[in-house]
Amino acid sequence: MTARPPTLTGRLLHAGFADLTRSASLWSDPGLQEAFASPGREDALLGAVAGCADPDLALLQLVRLAENPEARTRLGELLDEDAPPRARTRLLAVLGASSALGDEVVRRPELLDLLAAPDGAAADAPDLEDVDGADDEDGEDGGDPGPRTVAGPAEVRAALLRAVGADPAAEVPVAADPDAGPGVGWPDAGAATTTDALRRAYRARLLALAADDLTASEPLMRMPVVGAALADLAAAALDAALAVARAELDDHGAGVRLAVVGMGKTGGRELNYVSDVDVVYVCEPGALPGGSVLDEPTALATGTRLATGLQRVCSAASAEPALWPVDAALRPEGAQGPLVRTLASHLAYYERWAQTWEFQALLKARPVAGDADLGRDYRAAVDPFIWSAVHREHFVEDARAMRRRVEQHVPAAEADRQIKLGKGGLRDVEFTVQLLQLVHGRADPKIRSPHTLAALAALAAGGYVGREHAARMAVCYRFLRALEHRVQLFRLRRTHLLPTAEEDLRRLARSLGMRAEGATGLLERWRATRREVRALHEEVFYRPLLPASAQLSDAELSLSPDVARERFAAVGYRDPDGAMRHVTALTSGTSRRAALQRQLLPVLLGWFAEGADPDAGLLAFRKLSETLGATPWYLRLLRDSENAAYHLTRLLASSTYLAEALARSPESVRWLADTSGLEPRGPERLAAEVDALLTRADEPKAAAQRLRALRRRELARTGAAEVLGLLPPVDAAAAISDAADVVLAGGLRVAEHAARVELGLGAGENPTRMLVVAMGRLGGREMGYGSDADVMFVHEPVPGAEPQVAQDFATRAATRLRALLSEVGPEPTLPVDADLRPEGRQGPLVRTLESYAEYYGRWSSVWESQALLRARPVAGDVGGDGSLGSQFEVLVDPLRWPAGGLDDAPLREVRRIKARVEAERLPRGADPARHLKLGRGGVSDVEWTAQLLQLQHAAEVPGLRTTGTVAALDAATVAGLLDAEDAAQLRDAWVLASRLRSAVVLWSGRTTGAQTDRLPHDSRDLTGVAALLGDVGTGGELEELYLRTARRARAVMERVFYGED
Amino acid sequence: MDRQQEFVLRTVEERDIRFIRLWFTDVLGVLKSVAVAPAELEQAFTEGIGFDGSSIEGLTRVYEADMIAKPDPTTFQVLPWRGDRHGTGRMFCDILTPDGEPSLADSRNVLKRALAKASDRGFTFYTHPEVEFYLFNQLAAPEDPLVPVDNGGYFDHLARGSTHDFRRAAITMLESMGISVEFSHHEAGPGQNEIDLRYADALTTADNLMTFRTVVKEVALEQGVFASFMPKPMADQPGSGMHTHLSLFEDDQNAFHEPGAQFELSKTARQFIAGLLVHAAEITAVTNQYVNSYKRLWGGAEAPSYICWGHNNRSALVRVPMYKPGKGNSARVEYRALDSAANPYLAFAVLLAAGLKGIEDGYELPEATGDDVWELTDRERRALGIAPLPQSLDEAIELMERSELVAETLGEHVYDFVLRNKRQEWDAYRAQVTPYELRRFLQNL
Repeated sequence: MTARPPTLTGRLLHAGFADLTRSASLWSDPGLQEAFASPGREDALLGAVAGCADPDLALLQLVRLAENPEARTRLGELLDEDAPPRARTRLLAVLGASSALGDEVVRRPELLDLLAAPDGAAADAPDLEDVDGADDEDGEDGGDPGPRTVAGPAEVRAALLRAVGADPAAEVPVAADPDAGPGVGWPDAGAATTTDALRRAYRARLLALAADDLTASEPLMRMPVVGAALADLAAAALDAALAVARAELDDHGAGVRLAVVGMGKTGGRELNYVSDVDVVYVCEPGALPGGSVLDEPTALATGTRLATGLQRVCSAASAEPALWPVDAALRPEGAQGPLVRTLASHLAYYERWAQTWEFQALLKARPVAGDADLGRDYRAAVDPFIWSAVHREHFVEDARAMRRRVEQHVPAAEADRQIKLGKGGLRDVEFTVQLLQLVHGRADPKIRSPHTLAALAALAAGGYVGREHAARMAVCYRFLRALEHRVQLFRLRRTHLLPTAEEDLRRLARSLGMRAEGATGLLERWRATRREVRALHEEVFYRPLLPASAQLSDAELSLSPDVARERFAAVGYRDPDGAMRHVTALTSGTSRRAALQRQLLPVLLGWFAEGADPDAGLLAFRKLSETLGATPWYLRLLRDSENAAYHLTRLLASSTYLAEALARSPESVRWLADTSGLEPRGPERLAAEVDALLTRADEPKAAAQRLRALRRRELARTGAAEVLGLLPPVDAAAAISDAADVVLAGGLRVAEHAARVELGLGAGENPTRMLVVAMGRLGGREMGYGSDADVMFVHEPVPGAEPQVAQDFATRAATRLRALLSEVGPEPTLPVDADLRPEGRQGPLVRTLESYAEYYGRWSSVWESQALLRARPVAGDVGGDGSLGSQFEVLVDPLRWPAGGLDDAPLREVRRIKARVEAERLPRGADPARHLKLGRGGVSDVEWTAQLLQLQHAAEVPGLRTTGTVAALDAATVAGLLDAEDAAQLRDAWVLASRLRSAVVLWSGRTTGAQTDRLPHDSRDLTGVAALLGDVGTGGELEELYLRTARRARAVMERVFYGED
Repeated sequence: MDRQQEFVLRTVEERDIRFIRLWFTDVLGVLKSVAVAPAELEQAFTEGIGFDGSSIEGLTRVYEADMIAKPDPTTFQVLPWRGDRHGTGRMFCDILTPDGEPSLADSRNVLKRALAKASDRGFTFYTHPEVEFYLFNQLAAPEDPLVPVDNGGYFDHLARGSTHDFRRAAITMLESMGISVEFSHHEAGPGQNEIDLRYADALTTADNLMTFRTVVKEVALEQGVFASFMPKPMADQPGSGMHTHLSLFEDDQNAFHEPGAQFELSKTARQFIAGLLVHAAEITAVTNQYVNSYKRLWGGAEAPSYICWGHNNRSALVRVPMYKPGKGNSARVEYRALDSAANPYLAFAVLLAAGLKGIEDGYELPEATGDDVWELTDRERRALGIAPLPQSLDEAIELMERSELVAETLGEHVYDFVLRNKRQEWDAYRAQVTPYELRRFLQNL
């Protein structure tokens, strides 16, 4: 069978067109057909199209180009069989990858000549080895870096200066007189002004550069060369723009030395296609023609005009499109500061005011235009600041904050498409490299390059990061950058977002040499790269901290002790030597455990460093691993669940209480597997568990220990959930109270059993019904980790029982309950405090309901009414209408919610008691401003205020009949008894103080002692507590916040409670 | 080690300086000093010098006594009165906690924080104080009557006047320490002098004032007399105030100046003045911190007892000086309540905060008062909406207790300390039985 000549459609399909009908009709466009006049041109075109990123787009642009007769002729010549194929490949590559540059070619067909020109192997080739240093290191992706046709910086500068009519050889180049006109003052007849001439020349160069880039066989290898060439082109444009700005001044700014220092990617000589060009201006008075020196104020004023002029030339509206915004926001004082400064003024600022991130930014400073000597002086003068930044106060916190900024400043909608920001983005790589440079660059000048890839290579060569990791990171960086370049090229817009449309992704894939993989393949590689970058930060930063014996392979690197010490300290470990010991202990040996730890530890070390106390976290982890290491599920859990491992590090590095709790019952680590394990169990499930547990028990003491163990477990669960931010503070307090409730209920059952045994009674022969009434914080379901259980005991003899026997039984049961829950034992105690009962410690521990009725009928004082506000039947006979619990409530309701509120005498009495309590209860030496419970504006102040409102108004406002403080404040606000703003101040203070009390326990691990009720003084404690709360800033800020919040609450309290003012 | 620090070390070496005094100020504005030898200086720069802060007024809470003084090398000066050979240098210090955080109790830090806040809004704060003080002959015993060194009056030139020599010596010494003096003259009271410091940023001015007080006392002692910055030493003579000119700059531009506006005052200036007026009463316990301060405020003459402003009105609280054409950058407002015994760091901080608050919340400036406010009756003043400043320390404390502005500016720690300290001072003062009472009542009742 003879081969049939392929149809046009078939040929188009083969060449990679997507829309065949449309491309076939474009193909037959008369203008284009005219350009095809000679034989073979069609085939030549099809051949070239096949290599381009978007054949459909390229064809459309060709048709537009062919509309112009002159362009048509040139196009035809380009397609001739004997014309060099490279020229048309370059043209098609540009047309298919960049609609913006294609439009430029259509607008200015003479640019076709530029694409057709033979490879311009430049006279002074750029020192690419400088920027391309990474090549030697990561030979992995090898291959041909593509044609090196890029012109050197000096040549580009000369070309752009000539384009504006300036003499490149002049010491201070000045552009042509703006009035001279094209052809006279500057060569380009198509430009009306020097500004336009510059922009046109810039774009022509950009076009050639893009053509080289897009036809490179290995775009990733080519990337650093492109970045350097773009930076050189930008630098040249800045110089030319400065020449134009000088030409605009009468004396050309004589006697003013102005250096333009590139920052960011411009400084690093690794620029994007379209990006803000970050600069800083340094200005000094220089010699005037007569030999005298200009005065400084005049020089600065003129320097400002030059800088403003330069920015206008680059980015103001004109006939030709703007180049890019020139951004000088990295200068001292940012946008607030003067645009230009003298060198001395820069240094004065860096000495006194600059923040750590500003030194990180200076790392990239490189003189790029203007007065080169002054630029060099600047760089030399700021160098010492950069390399001592790591020893600034707060470097660790600042670095952490900078990293958070890298990760967080991404709108949620863009998070999946951001190439630059976010986890695994370009910034992530840059941050890692720069942090390593700041940490180790002080001692080692060899790793100070402002160029990301060169710095990475130097870090690997110097033994600061593993070679293989550095190589992988370099590949990731090149890929992300190349991708970003291609995205920007399409419309020449400053964007860092991956497009979503299928055809856009296809074009990107093809332009990156991933034709076979296509859109899907590109997305896959992109996601994989981001994942890898994220993991590589830990690998690059923390892996080398493992001792040599613990490295996974011989290729891994182990830092020398000095370097490791530097690095541990730089991320916040206070005792680097200790940390190194723990790491060695965790990873040494041949056990499976050690092997797994070697895998896990780099990541964990990073996570511990995010906590308030990395050292304690690592130590606790070591202890936990020594206990659990042999347990099969433990390391598997950490290895397989990133979430579990992360949560574990958070808990261990921020809470001594939880570190101890987890060490105590290591099985709790399992809760972290999925967070449902951290949800409060709820009263029903807990009650059922207590039931089962007591059914199995036979001996009271052992049973009580089990109950106490259950409470310990629930405290740990609640604490973990609260620290991880999964449980709001109010719910945590309720969960802690629920646990106390069930323990009291179970404890009472055990105690009753014991009392029966003591009195020789059988099961079911209780002579009386018992009731435990919760009071205080337990009554309000507001318990903290260290709260006691305040209770009252009530009993009611069963019909026919001997009163004396009933009382004896009840007293025994109550006494046993207290003993069982509070006597020394392996499990934590729940002290049961019955001091709020009638007659306090002098009164009987247990009374009958009738006795309570009689007592309250005779004596009831106002403080008792106040205490009863929080009474809540909790254990014993509590269920249902006729129960003892409901009878008790019926009895006390008229006392705590008195009809008609409070008379003057009891009102005065409450106030007097409170005043007395303030004077007497505060522990000796305690600062009232910092005592969270009894101090000024502390929980007690707020609670008394809420309770007074309840006493006064609960009879007529049902919402006030609650045992909860916040609920009472809310109800009082709704009823108009409390100003909304006052209520907010009281609530804020109460919530903050309550959270602080919990946080102090969680941080310190101490549940008792004078310190638990105080805002810590020690700044390390304050910092730790602030980190636990998470939303209150630094320790110092927390201190200010608490003192201020409490002071305001106190002012409200004095008004509302004491009725002052 | 930065360049400034190296400069200090080099100077100490070259000029053979044997001691360096590290100066800082307690919360009441009293200068404290600790001397170190040159050998310790390098460590002082890198780590600071530890000291026990518990005995310094308001500096620490008793249980956290360890503090660190870290010298600011830009403030290095050689003390001229210690002689040329083997001289003594001094530097002001920032006070840090043992972890290197700026101490919340350091008044210099209070001012720095306030200045940083202004700087966030693009402002630099400049001040120019006119310091008044008395020179008295040495007292043999504390209860001896006060004898001023001369009987001169305002601007008097006294032949062979000892105060003339005094001012010349004091100014020479100040200038030799890099503190520029703008102006000096004999004041209205016998033995009373005024020396005006050249305007500078507020932190420098405050440092300079601390130096100034020391220099004046040193020179007086050299001349066999003594100097006092007490606000009102003699009931029948004018008190010693510290009228202070305030201005804000944006970059190099005076933000108070607007050509063509009324009194050439920009909107920023008007709002700043409004802020000063609205908050004047609540900041008085800081700007006039002693029981004696209120005897000056209510002692008649030109004392600014009422909250009002005016253009060249000599009795107004805030005065807008006559504008000099072509001197846009010298536009400023003068706050006249401040006295020479204030803690300049805290006083400048609250003044700045009050003015900024006016700018932030866009306060409206009331009408200027042209009349001599003292001449009006109480009823007239009330009708005009002119309120008085607090009449006593007690009243001032009460107003400050309710002030969020002062609390936020001083920080909770300093705020609380000042209130407690001033409350104690008031209680102690109230317990006195004065010679006046004895004279008036003892025989008659």
